[in-house]
Amino acid sequence: MKASLATSAALHALVLTWALVSIGSPESFDVADVEAMPVDIVPIEELTQIQQGDKKAPMAEKSAPVPTKRQDPVENAENSGDNDIDLKTPPTPNDKPQKTETAAAPPKAEQTMPTPEPTPEPAEQVQPSEPASTPATEVAAEAAPKQEVTPEATPEEKPAEEAPAEVAEAEAMPDNVPVPEIRPQPPQPQTAKTPDRKNEEKKQEQKKAASAKESDFNADEVAALLNKTEAKGGGAKRSTETASLGGKKTTGGSKLSMSEMDALRGIIQNNWSIIPGMADATEVRIKVTMQLDPDGNIVGEPSVVATGGSDAARRALAGGARRAILKSAPFDKLPKDKYDAWSEVVVNFDPSEMM
Amino acid sequence: MEQVGLAATADVSLWSLFMQAGLVVKLVMVGLIAASIWTWAIVVDKTLAFNKARRQLDSFEQVFWSGQSLEELYRTLSDRQTSGMSAMFVAAMREWKKSFERGARSPIGLQMRIDRAMDVTLARESEALEARLGSLATIGSAGPFIGLFGTVVGIMTSFQAIAGSKSTNLAVVAPGIAEALLATAIGLLAAIPAVIAYNKFTADAGKITARMEGFADEFSAILSRQIDEKLQPRQAAQ
Repeated sequence: MKASLATSAALHALVLTWALVSIGSPESFDVADVEAMPVDIVPIEELTQIQQGDKKAPMAEKSAPVPTKRQDPVENAENSGDNDIDLKTPPTPNDKPQKTETAAAPPKAEQTMPTPEPTPEPAEQVQPSEPASTPATEVAAEAAPKQEVTPEATPEEKPAEEAPAEVAEAEAMPDNVPVPEIRPQPPQPQTAKTPDRKNEEKKQEQKKAASAKESDFNADEVAALLNKTEAKGGGAKRSTETASLGGKKTTGGSKLSMSEMDALRGIIQNNWSIIPGMADATEVRIKVTMQLDPDGNIVGEPSVVATGGSDAARRALAGGARRAILKSAPFDKLPKDKYDAWSEVVVNFDPSEMM
Repeated sequence: MEQVGLAATADVSLWSLFMQAGLVVKLVMVGLIAASIWTWAIVVDKTLAFNKARRQLDSFEQVFWSGQSLEELYRTLSDRQTSGMSAMFVAAMREWKKSFERGARSPIGLQMRIDRAMDVTLARESEALEARLGSLATIGSAGPFIGLFGTVVGIMTSFQAIAGSKSTNLAVVAPGIAEALLATAIGLLAAIPAVIAYNKFTADAGKITARMEGFADEFSAILSRQIDEKLQPRQAAQ
């Protein structure tokens, strides 16, 4: 046994020595240095949106607006240009941009705003002259001849002042005038009234014209007059790249992505409870249309239209869908910058998928 | 870049791996190498012993069946150190001689005693054949587990080192894991030959024992015939 143990030990020593000598350090992997490449996942929607650029410039891979002369950046500027303040109006050429504010042309909706209707005031103001035309009292009768003589002279200007004067005259008169002898002349309403009516109309026209002038008030004109300088338009977004074809403004993806739609669907679905086993429920289709404000609140009442199925099922499911919508509001998880896409939302409910 | 440089300088040859290992892993490796040495010592020893036993069986059978007188054969063999079949033959003949010298009465009792003597010798011989095979079995079954233990401890310490260095760079992890895996490799290196050798030697020992049992039965039959032949004339004379 001792001999074989020695043999074995010798064999092991041999093998280990051989292994240590021949199986040295294995060759290390020589991996060439590879630059890490940043990879962005860009949704196709962003590429298909209109990018800011120049409408007249030739097409390039990346659209860019006309390069601006100034380089100082302005925060949150959207429209390209050399202006200090970001304005929507296009820049006027051949002139140095100056620090003048220019308001954009008022939108059409504002222009067509109905002018304030003529108030019924003129009628009231004219009324004081009316007593003259009507034979109300004996005392007042004396005023009537005056009207006949100069029908167009005074009443236009100060009808309100005339009346008190007459009253004062009437008060003073009674002592001098022999009252019973003079027959009170029957007043001639037709001749007296005609000038009055014309006056009223004229006054109304005048007021209309005044109100129309008021609506034409333009802050720009005032500002321009005050500044004594010509207003300059143009945005404040700087650009250094060569101009290439593109839109006036980058339209940020105005479509909800699938995940956002799923989120909306998930919120509503969680709140939609269906009574299981309802007859005919699977045939009912409900369409809910609702308007949302930028905060995600529902504006007004959502309109619910249910079709198919039995009357009772339709009524029950439509009520349920309406409750689900109201319960899910406000939809504040929707992206604010895509408000255009979800200002009006149409939700189709299909109960067969829930059962 | 610092870590890349570290990886380049890290020595991963076998010796450096062994020296870098922790105390427990080192102990496991040394123990496994000792087990491997012991395994191969047994392999060498058993191979030689079995060859010798087989050779002796062959030569004894040749002599036994050569028609030589059993008395003569006993006389030549009783002086020598015997093993295997010859030992069984010597034991049986000794018992035979003793019984006849004292004048045995019962042939059945004599037969039984001779069988016992041969059985005892057979058991002793087969025990000698199978000696140390148990340790082969132990090394074969426990070796991988011991190696695995070393690996687990090594990986554990290397992970503790990673936690300390606060870097998960592969260059930091690799040497520790490589050194830990070396323990499993050595464990397998010791266990695989041990298992193969154990299976082979168990089968060989079984064959040799069966051959010896066959001889014992045959010799017992011969002796029983002899007993009948020798006792009947005596009984007839009485």
